[in-house]
Amino acid sequence: MAERESDKALDRETPVGAVHVLAVVPMKQTVLYPHVALPALVGRQASVEAVKAALATEEKTLVVVAQRDPGQDEPGPQDLYTVGTRAVLKQMTRSPEGMRLLLVGIERVAIEHWEQTEGFLRARVRVLPTPADVGPEVEARMRAVMDLGRRVVEIVQPDAQVDVSEMVARNADPLQVAYVVASLLPLPGEQGQRILEADTRLEALRLLNESLANEIRVLEIRKEIAGQAASEMSKSQREYVLRQQLRAIQAELGEGDPQEQEAAVLRERLEKADLPEHVRKEAERELSRLERLPPAAPDYQMTRSYLELVLELPWKAAEPAEIDLGKARGILDEDHFDLEEVKDRILEDLAVMKLNPGAHAPILCFVGPPGVGKTSLGQSIARALDRPFERLSLGGMHDEAELRGHRRTYIGAMPGRVLQAIRRAGRRNPVMMLDEVDKLGRGFQGDPASALLEVLDPAQNGTFRDNYLDLPFDLSQVVFITTANTLDTIPRPLLDRMEVLRLAGYAREEKVAIARRHLIPRRLAEAGLKPEQLEIPDDTVARLVASYTREAGVRELERLLGRIARKVARRVAEGTASSVRVLPADLQELLGDERFLPEEARQELLPGVATGLAWTESGGEVLYVEAALLPGGKELRITGSIGEVMRESATAAQTWVWSHAKELGIDSDRFEKAGVHLHVPAGAVPKDGPSAGVAMTTALASLYTDTPARRDTAMTGEISLAGLVLPVGGIKEKVLAAHRAGLRRVVLPEGNRRDVKQIPDEVRRDLEVVFASRIEEVLETALTRGVREARARS
Amino acid sequence: MSHDPIAELLFSEPATPSTANWRPRADVYRTPGGWLVKLDLAGVRPADVTVTLSGSSLTVSGCRRDWLLEREWDHVQMEIAYNCFERRLDLPGEPGSCRVSTEFRDGFLMVRVEPER
Repeated sequence: MAERESDKALDRETPVGAVHVLAVVPMKQTVLYPHVALPALVGRQASVEAVKAALATEEKTLVVVAQRDPGQDEPGPQDLYTVGTRAVLKQMTRSPEGMRLLLVGIERVAIEHWEQTEGFLRARVRVLPTPADVGPEVEARMRAVMDLGRRVVEIVQPDAQVDVSEMVARNADPLQVAYVVASLLPLPGEQGQRILEADTRLEALRLLNESLANEIRVLEIRKEIAGQAASEMSKSQREYVLRQQLRAIQAELGEGDPQEQEAAVLRERLEKADLPEHVRKEAERELSRLERLPPAAPDYQMTRSYLELVLELPWKAAEPAEIDLGKARGILDEDHFDLEEVKDRILEDLAVMKLNPGAHAPILCFVGPPGVGKTSLGQSIARALDRPFERLSLGGMHDEAELRGHRRTYIGAMPGRVLQAIRRAGRRNPVMMLDEVDKLGRGFQGDPASALLEVLDPAQNGTFRDNYLDLPFDLSQVVFITTANTLDTIPRPLLDRMEVLRLAGYAREEKVAIARRHLIPRRLAEAGLKPEQLEIPDDTVARLVASYTREAGVRELERLLGRIARKVARRVAEGTASSVRVLPADLQELLGDERFLPEEARQELLPGVATGLAWTESGGEVLYVEAALLPGGKELRITGSIGEVMRESATAAQTWVWSHAKELGIDSDRFEKAGVHLHVPAGAVPKDGPSAGVAMTTALASLYTDTPARRDTAMTGEISLAGLVLPVGGIKEKVLAAHRAGLRRVVLPEGNRRDVKQIPDEVRRDLEVVFASRIEEVLETALTRGVREARARS
Repeated sequence: MSHDPIAELLFSEPATPSTANWRPRADVYRTPGGWLVKLDLAGVRPADVTVTLSGSSLTVSGCRRDWLLEREWDHVQMEIAYNCFERRLDLPGEPGSCRVSTEFRDGFLMVRVEPER
């Protein structure tokens, strides 16, 4: 239900001219206005008696009148104004100080006759009319009062519950506004009284306006003075007192001024430091600034850390260490199995550095699946070169300032990570590994990849300028090595500046050898076992690789070996065994059930299915391309999370098969009456790239000629519309995947013949590799009956 | 008598625009026969109450007088609102011409508003 309280529903005023005889309570400072509530404490005996008399009436009303002189303690009639306010007592409680009252004014009254002056005052009063004049001037005055009033109220009572503008929005009576504003102000008694006595609204507003303007000036000045005094006095005095105390304590302890000491230490270090001239000049400038600064200045700490950085950075080139190529080769071989190509490349670079120590250090990029030893190869290089190794992970870095530092004007500014690494290394020529360069983020705070360009560009990094240091620093002697899982996400300009070395995945035999030579000894040492206490023969490792891991690298394998070592260590420590030989049959007990069934090739292939090979960031995989007719359809439908390039490749395969229908012996009815659907499981794994073209063509040819593809044959290669088979990447991983899956034949593009060298001999012995330069050759090899036979049959 | 900051704290109610009138609390019912308004008017003499209906606006006003006045009794605390009160309520719907009857029961004033047929 809607309820409406009219704002005009004012108090039941008695008619103008009505006469009351009421107790009178004098007020020292305050004027009570009609329709305004006023809390008050009544302590004076006469006032308490007056309130008691009012309480003893049925209606609990009394008259409140202001005193002319606030200092008068026992005011008589002559000490009071003659205009007051009739008020109703809303609440009363007693307290030791007297009575606490809540009064609400009803109407203005004029005192006509004093009826009683003994004990307390009682008077006959006549109700005065409520001013009700209207007009534009009243309106204008009211607005001025509101504006000023709001400002005053904000200063005097910041948490007052009255919003002056809200009152006006409710169409409050202008006089009412004036009364409320007046009662919120600490107006001197006389001014407040004159507003109460005003016979017109205009007069009341005018008086109030005057007082407000005056008041606001006084208040603002007072506030300003108070604020200034409080903040200035306390801060500087506190600091002074504390400083004096500090002096006294230091004198007591026999110490000098720490600031002077600090500056002296820095100066001493600066004099001893071997700095280039331009750096020394800058450092001198900062140091003399530091000596003048008070330690509490925000700049003080900043300048000090800056100077420390400048003093700690290795500005001068170190004596080039003699590079022993034989020893380097030994270290690389000791740490890493195989990787011949990469090792050769590194040794070549070392040879150049040996002959020309001033040459730019190489900037290498190791690309390969996780766990193939990219990071540890970097460590070996550092060891072979006898230089410090520093590693920065760039993964997810999205702020340019992290690499290049913040300018010193910012609070909490720091040098970039590159410079911090140099400082940690303490040499100007460390091996610095920038890990996960393919996972650089990109945020709104600039592009860290672009900042890396400067770091990695041999033409620019001789004068690398960090924002914080703001002095050129020579990075040209740093051997930068970046690592990545894939080259696809590395920005092109960045890639151009690096020499890419690929580390492919390892074959099972290689993993066994790595485990024997590196992983097992390391894990034994970590578990605190002696070699004779735990033996893990090669066939056990081979079983581990095949049934418990599926990875291109050896990270998971190493973890599993660590688990075995820990379990054996426990038995040895508990005394239940003294030496353990882990046989393949023991793995179930040690590690639980086999996690992976060996990747089995499909036992039988229907017409329309071909075996393809895919390269992923974690190695190679066997995948099947499936094709089926869509009776009544027309289109080529492709599914299985296929990317744009692979989709185009499928279209090319379809076009080639349709346009060579005659040669293949395909009844053209078959594709005129039906569409075709190509699917590449697993449907949830995104796939892209052109290298499935050959497999898709084979699948389509197999479908239309109704000839199954050979199930032991896998294939890879891009296809062109002219039927050419074009070379693709990732051959080693793909062939290893085929081998793992137990396939016996692999069809590769002729153009990839040279890549076969990378494939380990053990794998090549088991596999027949067929090179094809045209798709017809692929079909000849891959289909069970061959194309010619199919044609002859039709 | 003075303007005292402690008192201000105690009542924690700075000068605000308010009416000296107090507002009795009210329940409004829609009944099969019309409306029933129940007002909390304990201690009010029936003779001191005026009920007026103008359109759909029902106004109940009057005065609560303290009738417990004894010689040599002293107020120690006063919280009950005396003096004038007024409550204006909008009845939902358009009552038209109505019969208004009042009844006092246990401190409540019941105002029945029933349209005449």
